[in-house]
Amino acid sequence: MEEAAQERRALELNLRQALASDQFQLYFQPLVDLRTGRVTTCEALMRWKHPNRGMLQLRQSRRGAQRSSGYCLLRGLPLFLLIMASLDAGRIATGGAVRFLGERRSYWRLLIRGAALLMITLGIYRFWLVTDVRRFLWSNTEIAGEALEYTGTALELLLGFLVAIALLIPIYVGFFLAALDLGLLGKLSGVLAFAALGVLGQYAIYRARRYRLTRTIYRGLRFHQTGSAWSYAFRATLWWIVTVLSLGLAYPFQVANLERYKMKNTFYGDLGGRFEASGIALFLRGLPMWLLFFAPLAPAIRGFVGLDWQALVDAIAQGGDDVMSKIEGGNPGLGSAIAFAMLMGGTSVVLGALLYPAFQALTLRWWSSGLRFGTIEVRSHVRTRDIYGAYARFVGYASLFSIAMGMVGAIVFSIAGAVVNVAKFDTADQIAITLLLLGVYVIAALGFSTVYRATVQLSVWQLGMESLELSGLSALEKVKAGGRASSALGEGLADALNVGGY
Amino acid sequence: MSSGAGVYFDGITSAQREVVVELGSDSLQISARDGNLSVEWPYNEIEELDAPHSVLRLGRRRSASLERLEIREPALAAEIDERAVHVDRTGSSQQRQRIRVIGWTVGATVSLLLVAWFGVPAIAARLTPLLPPSIERKLGDAVDAQIRSMLDTGKRNTALECGTAATEIPGRNALNKLMQRLEAAAALPVTLRTNVVRRDEANAIALPGGRVYVFRGLIDKAENADEVAGVIAHEIGHVAHRDGTRAILEGAGLSFLFGMLLGDFVGGGAVVFAAKSVLQSSYSREAESAADTYGTDLMNKTGSDARALANMLEKIGGATEPGMNILMDHPETKARVAAIRQRAAAKSPQPFLDPGEWAALKQICAGP
Repeated sequence: MEEAAQERRALELNLRQALASDQFQLYFQPLVDLRTGRVTTCEALMRWKHPNRGMLQLRQSRRGAQRSSGYCLLRGLPLFLLIMASLDAGRIATGGAVRFLGERRSYWRLLIRGAALLMITLGIYRFWLVTDVRRFLWSNTEIAGEALEYTGTALELLLGFLVAIALLIPIYVGFFLAALDLGLLGKLSGVLAFAALGVLGQYAIYRARRYRLTRTIYRGLRFHQTGSAWSYAFRATLWWIVTVLSLGLAYPFQVANLERYKMKNTFYGDLGGRFEASGIALFLRGLPMWLLFFAPLAPAIRGFVGLDWQALVDAIAQGGDDVMSKIEGGNPGLGSAIAFAMLMGGTSVVLGALLYPAFQALTLRWWSSGLRFGTIEVRSHVRTRDIYGAYARFVGYASLFSIAMGMVGAIVFSIAGAVVNVAKFDTADQIAITLLLLGVYVIAALGFSTVYRATVQLSVWQLGMESLELSGLSALEKVKAGGRASSALGEGLADALNVGGY
Repeated sequence: MSSGAGVYFDGITSAQREVVVELGSDSLQISARDGNLSVEWPYNEIEELDAPHSVLRLGRRRSASLERLEIREPALAAEIDERAVHVDRTGSSQQRQRIRVIGWTVGATVSLLLVAWFGVPAIAARLTPLLPPSIERKLGDAVDAQIRSMLDTGKRNTALECGTAATEIPGRNALNKLMQRLEAAAALPVTLRTNVVRRDEANAIALPGGRVYVFRGLIDKAENADEVAGVIAHEIGHVAHRDGTRAILEGAGLSFLFGMLLGDFVGGGAVVFAAKSVLQSSYSREAESAADTYGTDLMNKTGSDARALANMLEKIGGATEPGMNILMDHPETKARVAAIRQRAAAKSPQPFLDPGEWAALKQICAGP
């Protein structure tokens, strides 16, 4: 309370000085879609040349088809009042520093077209779709009045993928031959392949991040990433092992550690990044959720511990037709223990699904608030209920899509049922039916992934960005260029190994 | 000549500079209000870059420089759009480019499907003869472990293979006699390892490297030893043609093509699996009729009745058990039966086993 009151007094003082020394500039402006010439948004903008924090912007805008620019002037006064209200609320630093300008409708259009082309091209189109998605998200994200820019191209991704394939073929052939070996090598080949591809996947993740950063342009400068991808890969692999062994308890420390490594090697021009959030903070905030998730599992596991394991093992080892009855005889409690475990496991899964958006919001807040670039500090105020809202929209659209698919599917299959003669069921029919089922599967998978991207992915991006509060932006005035564009090999490897990102 | 306001970034520092943009006859001039900046961009070197709809963001074409000029005034933006060839706010040039991309990717897809349909079988067929027998044997052993775990349900406390218990030994001897005659006529470079297994289905399978499994259900369904020998002759055909090895190479090629090259775009090995089963069932049809031909010729060579294979095919083609479905891999049974009967040289055929030996073979899975 005391702290808040002090902050308020300081703000008031600042405002007085600002008014006295002409630090405020007020604008009313229509935003015009340059392609159609229509006014899409009315905006009131107040710039405050803050003595310490650099140029701050306060914005209020109303979107929607507007008749004329003159109309925007009429809207200006209430928008100005809104700005004053937000000043009064002490939210000056929020200042609308980060805005997302993309229209949901354009994103839907982009994704639906992409999904159709993915299907026709059996997935080759993905390089173009990924590039389109990034271009949309980047170029519609405006930080302190300037939008980001993504300069990567689909052809770079395609090339990176082909090089990655060329590198992976010998590795896959090696593992195939090793699997044929009947000795120790053959037995271990599966584990070895899993481990090697796991490390390689982490390597790919780091290299892919480097590609994305060096294709991100802001105010005429690119981001870049230094550091060794191999060193990251081994570090990340070790952390994953620890996290799995600790049933996820080490996860906060893993993310904090890896994020520190990534951000330490991340630069905007010559402005170095850091990560300052601590693992323990995320651990303490996430612990209640972890306990909720594991609470139903603990009694289920205890039920198993109480069993007569020796009798069970003996019964299975003996085999025979009456194996089940022998198991029952040795352990009368087994059946109920299994039923109880399934019930508790189900509860746990449902709880996990319900808690996941809250966990995502928590992690996003924690992560964003730890980001630093030079003197620039970031704080995130993303609200948990907004993330739940995004998932609710996903569930809504996904249900609509399921209903539509069910109706179309019923029609198609009743037609197919009439055409196919069951008595003369030959290979051609069999192939036709396989292809039909395949088509249904692909459409369903693409449909749900499109709905997910258009609801959850877009919302999390938008909410994550718009809830950011940036301070120390004056550092932006004097950053020098640094770093060069890197190859897309990492993206290609990540694609071939199915370890994704944006 | 018109002019307007813009924001300029020089690509060397992040400084944001308010500039005046003047449109000349073949270039635009950018100058800072404070006078210490003056840059000239020829219209044909200007390109439009991604930005929100309310901003026209310009850069230099084919240049590593990250210089940027941003225009927010609609009138000025429209005028630049008109003058610069590579700035196209209507999006029609982007549309054309997009259609070209779609054309190419669809073309690539068609070509990949052709490779899957014709190329992969052709490559597998060329590679198979080059594989040395030792590798093929190893391959067979690896597959064998897999197949055995699939066949052996472990319900009974008996071995999967028949012919080991004392009561089964005469049956095993009868099988050996039958196999000796077939193997002598076939003269394969690999030794055959034939076993009867405790499975109720009427089926037989050949693995790479010369391992053949005859299911007990087949012997139960057969009326005489020749019918069993006919099916084994057919399986020897698969071994001689190295069909198993070829199928494995084809499978590896297809899963590589669909799984890795095309990418797991919906996270589904399901697509790969379905595509493989569709493609491979069409490969094996040709392989089946080739094995029929081989089997018929082999039966003719041993001086036995090749029509027995046709009789057996009719029987198991009509009533097969679910699960291990021989019908899947043996389509158009009628045509095959006719082809075998036509090829069979039925001049005083010699039966494989005498009635006593046949009775023993029937008991090969009797158990202890």
